[in-house]
Amino acid sequence: MKADAIELGVGKSSPKRGGLNRGVSILDFIIRIVAIPGTIGSAIAMATTNETLPFVTRFVRFRAEYNDLPMFTFFVVANSIVSAYLLLSLPLSIFHILRSSAERSRILFIFLDTAMLGLLTAGASAAASIVYLAHKGNAKANWLAICQQFNSFCERTSGSLIGSFLGVVAFILLILLSAVALSRR
Amino acid sequence: MRSGDSTTIDVPESKKDVPESSAIAKGKAPLVAVVVKQRGGWKRGVAIFDFLLRIGAIVAALAAASIMGTSQETLPFFTQFFQFQASYDDLPTFQFFVIAMAIVSGYLVLSLPFSIVSIVRPQAVGPRILLLIFDTVALTLNTSAAAAAAAIVYLAHNGNSNTNWLAICQQFGDFCQEVSGAVVAAFVSVVVFMFLILLSALAIRKP
Repeated sequence: MKADAIELGVGKSSPKRGGLNRGVSILDFIIRIVAIPGTIGSAIAMATTNETLPFVTRFVRFRAEYNDLPMFTFFVVANSIVSAYLLLSLPLSIFHILRSSAERSRILFIFLDTAMLGLLTAGASAAASIVYLAHKGNAKANWLAICQQFNSFCERTSGSLIGSFLGVVAFILLILLSAVALSRR
Repeated sequence: MRSGDSTTIDVPESKKDVPESSAIAKGKAPLVAVVVKQRGGWKRGVAIFDFLLRIGAIVAALAAASIMGTSQETLPFFTQFFQFQASYDDLPTFQFFVIAMAIVSGYLVLSLPFSIVSIVRPQAVGPRILLLIFDTVALTLNTSAAAAAAAIVYLAHNGNSNTNWLAICQQFGDFCQEVSGAVVAAFVSVVVFMFLILLSALAIRKP
């Protein structure tokens, strides 16, 4: 009984908890690696899309590029920043696998991941609202649906949103994993 | 400390609110119990700050939803091309904004009991992790609604010459002001959410 009382206080870092933390860190690393091509692909797909129509009308410009719309520019910039952050955070993630009881760096991870989640979601949502507007137009504001002229431009920009939203899901999972690892130290 | 098979420390004040267990009833308490009780103070302060921030976020989110929901303007004239009335439900993005901010404010109100629980019991990790998970999801919804509405508001202010989208703010000045105010309130709520997540993360770690 007396020996039990002492072991209660010492038993926090038993091998089982260390194993779970290591598994959480490995999963964190894998999710980061999976999210990198998603965000990079989105940035590249949006930045390299342009379409030139073979004709000219009086009202609609005959060439569409991503920097015609500032929201798409913001989307490209946000995705680039987030993918650079993911690449730079890989070494720290490997450090967490090796040393599962690192506490301050996990809090730093949660803070930076939250900031990047906000940035990525903002970029993806702003681009999504403009893509929706381009598809449907708006009769009340007299905004024409430009997708009816620029088909492949619209398809490409819509597709590039998918990778970005997958990145958003990945960041939510990363924050969750860091929180779980923090609480089970 | 005696050399032997047990460590005996007399902690008289811990006998009041410590459950009856054989080691403690005998007057022998492990060293860890004293340390944990002394360090509980800052976690309670963090929990109180979390509660206050949550109330601030409720105010911001409700303000955003209500300002956008009641934004309407009717012009005293009408032209051949423009409709003379602007309301939030003319734009599906603004509809999404109102619904999303209403969901976020509802979630914040429902999360207040969990925040109170973590004030009363500063050492409990369960409510804090739950709050952190749901705060992250609510942050995503909030940011998404605010950014989508901000894109439309930017378009309404500036227009876009490449796609021939006219700036409707030049006709509907009041509507634009109300809508822009709602977007600003939503972004204030986003910042508060980020602080809430950081506070939960700081309070989760075991000292």
